[in-house]
Amino acid sequence: MEVEDSIAVRRPERWSEPMDASMDDADVLWLRSREPFASMDAKAFPRSIPLEGILRNDCRIKRCEPGEIIVREGDYGNSAFLVLAGSTNVIVDSLSPGQMGRSSPEKMSWFQTIRQFLRHPRVAEARSPEQVTTAVDSPTNKSSIRQIDDRPAIFLQDFSVVLRDHTSVELGPGELFGEVAAMYRSPRTATVIAATEATLLEIRWQGLRILRRDKRFAASLDDHYRKHWLNVHLREVPLLRYLPEPSLLRVAEATQMRSFGRLEWNADYKRTRNLPVEQQIESEPIVCEAGRVPTELVIVRSGFGRLSQQYGASHRTTAYLGKGHIFGLEELSYNSVRPDNTPLLSLQNTLRAVGFLDALFIPAETFAADILPHVRRTELPQRAADLMLQSIEQQSESGADRRQNARDEDTAASRNIDVESETGQQFQQTALLEFIVQSRLNNGRQAMVIDLHRCTRCDDCVKACGNAHDGNPRFVRQGLSHDRLQVVEACMQCIDPVCMIGCPTGSIMRDEESGVVQIHESICVGCGTCAAACPYGNIRMTEVYDHQGRPYRDMITDMPIVKATKCDMCSKLPSGPACAAACPHDALVQIDLTESKPLQEWLDLRS
Amino acid sequence: MPVSSFRHRRRIAITTTLLALLVMLGIVWVQTGRLADVSLLTGATLLCCLLLLALFGMRRRLPILPVGSVSVWTQVHIYMGFFTAGVYWMHVPNLIGNGVFECSLSVIFLLVTLSGFYGLYASRTLPKRLTAVEGQHRFDRVEWHRGQIADHARKLLEELSVHVGIPVLGSFYTQHLSPFFNSRPSLAYVLVPTGGRRRRLLSDLKDLERYLESEGRSTAGRFAALVRRRDDLDYQFALQLRLRLWVAFHSILTLALLATSLIHSFMALRFAG
Repeated sequence: MEVEDSIAVRRPERWSEPMDASMDDADVLWLRSREPFASMDAKAFPRSIPLEGILRNDCRIKRCEPGEIIVREGDYGNSAFLVLAGSTNVIVDSLSPGQMGRSSPEKMSWFQTIRQFLRHPRVAEARSPEQVTTAVDSPTNKSSIRQIDDRPAIFLQDFSVVLRDHTSVELGPGELFGEVAAMYRSPRTATVIAATEATLLEIRWQGLRILRRDKRFAASLDDHYRKHWLNVHLREVPLLRYLPEPSLLRVAEATQMRSFGRLEWNADYKRTRNLPVEQQIESEPIVCEAGRVPTELVIVRSGFGRLSQQYGASHRTTAYLGKGHIFGLEELSYNSVRPDNTPLLSLQNTLRAVGFLDALFIPAETFAADILPHVRRTELPQRAADLMLQSIEQQSESGADRRQNARDEDTAASRNIDVESETGQQFQQTALLEFIVQSRLNNGRQAMVIDLHRCTRCDDCVKACGNAHDGNPRFVRQGLSHDRLQVVEACMQCIDPVCMIGCPTGSIMRDEESGVVQIHESICVGCGTCAAACPYGNIRMTEVYDHQGRPYRDMITDMPIVKATKCDMCSKLPSGPACAAACPHDALVQIDLTESKPLQEWLDLRS
Repeated sequence: MPVSSFRHRRRIAITTTLLALLVMLGIVWVQTGRLADVSLLTGATLLCCLLLLALFGMRRRLPILPVGSVSVWTQVHIYMGFFTAGVYWMHVPNLIGNGVFECSLSVIFLLVTLSGFYGLYASRTLPKRLTAVEGQHRFDRVEWHRGQIADHARKLLEELSVHVGIPVLGSFYTQHLSPFFNSRPSLAYVLVPTGGRRRRLLSDLKDLERYLESEGRSTAGRFAALVRRRDDLDYQFALQLRLRLWVAFHSILTLALLATSLIHSFMALRFAG
């Protein structure tokens, strides 16, 4: 292209969009006078990202009123909170959904289901006033949503009684909370309420990450994580479930935590999805490279990983990894048990972060000393297991020993529950694998998949969905296709639910029992944050009406009341998802794509 | 999720249907040997089967009922359809009955049966043909897509800036492309969608190339892409319409069959003696 053809634009900068545009120099100076920022070493930060810049652009000061819910248990968030003034209470035991303004979906009886089917409202998206707002005119009913400064906030009703009846821990000035959920994309583990009028500093994860350049601050965060969370996270890994406590402590001590890629992967998704696969693979940050001798065992804590192998001039995807999956086990275990005269096994696959990947790294020495002795042989990859067996057979001379080994093996085989997840999720076809990874469908725990070779396009699924939702279907039969599979644009109840980040009232949340991401409409303020965040476009904002067809309007702004709507897996229906039940040709299924096995089995059924 | 494959399921269903038919045939054979009138037995079986088959239509319209998934009902419907055809063969002395009413009844039955067999064939083959075509278009959006393609084609012509190409492509657009893009496919195409008109238009566009310079050729190429898109869309429309019309045809005839069968049963019982 000719130089004259080029277009001059301003390159976006790191802080082109500050978290709060109203933060000024006075605020930054005030924050610098308070701990932990007062004792931070400004020289520890790069010139391009100074400490003052982080405070100005990656933070916002938030005023909370007594009883305001700051974070809710089960929510996802990408920011941590530092108490600057006032006090907040962490509710140790869980609050009921009703106390947080959420109404748990009650299963309808068959009679109610049939009555609902027969009495569809004639108006689309019709709601009763109780479904639209918690502030229904009634002398006893006070709204749980109020406007604080320029944002809606949700309040706990009778919070003093709640505090009295529940165990809580008070957090005062200088104390930080919510950083684990923000850094590692995990659900909040407790609800935090403002006990008095409180001033908080909300720090988004990008800023929090840079603040870790200050050694004291990083050490305090790491200490807190190691002290309270790392052991819990390690214990959740199936491979480590038989580790005795002293070994686990040694493993925890040696474990390193590292993140790759961009936590807000959904912002780039639409662009990267359309990249040619080879370009996409090239752009993904490398976590471990094939051909190198493994030095650490990698346990994926959150995000997604792609395993690939060099094939010709490009890389070919061989598997994908997700939360809880392990990388490097085969090579490390082989290297640990191999005879001295055999060469070391190097990594066979390259591990890359697809969007974002956060992992725990356990050094090879720790793995050999503290983990391998406690792993069942049947849970090890075949090569290492064979070597281990040979070495045991050489050592044990008596037949009794061999019989004992055989018994051990049988027992271990019966307990073997996680072998398949150790080396990633694999499909037989590379193209299908790459389609799933490229489209980030491996995020879906209940992805709606249609077999196009059996689907007669009758749309009975859509009609059934409409019947189950007062005449308002929650999906349309369209979406990404690969070969005979179509992944419909319906909520996949993702394992990494980015839609749940940033909801100002906590209206969207995952049901702990069913795993379904639910929208509690009465506290949905219609801001559209969830719909904008969903990279797959599976949440739709819709105006709501009463049963006579009159639109609901906000009494202050006169703007229409809008609600977020999405597939709720027909949680209220006694029969489960209506779409799958209505398909006459076994063409539609809601399936877990975070694992390859369910889809592979489903495909095998029809092959 | 079912544990057995579709092939296994099919094998079990076919075996069960054949066994049921053999049992029925045995009973008819024994009863005939005893000089008993088996038409009442086969007729009653036939009526029960028809009622059960018709219930499938109701089940489809009430997907929320707790009576098994619609796909299970479909399987039962298919194999019960085969069984019913067999029982019909045992029931009637001739394939087409005598008299106006009996003749109509047997013709309707045969039409329903044949449309059922065709439906089974169509529902197993047409989806693959639909999938083989580029783009998965929803039936209710076909008209909108047609409009989009027509608009796109018109804009392509308007954007053409080279004078040499304007008359050539302009006249071809007016005579051939505009009628193609701005009208619905013909009934003949909808009934039997073929690649004839697509091949003809693409070949004509190819022939125009010698009259065009590079920009004109590029525009002709884009017209060709739009022709392919539109033809694919019409193909999807034709096949989806066929599937929908078949369901409507089969359902309406089923209702007529039920009504005539009930009248026939009433008359048979009335004059059974």
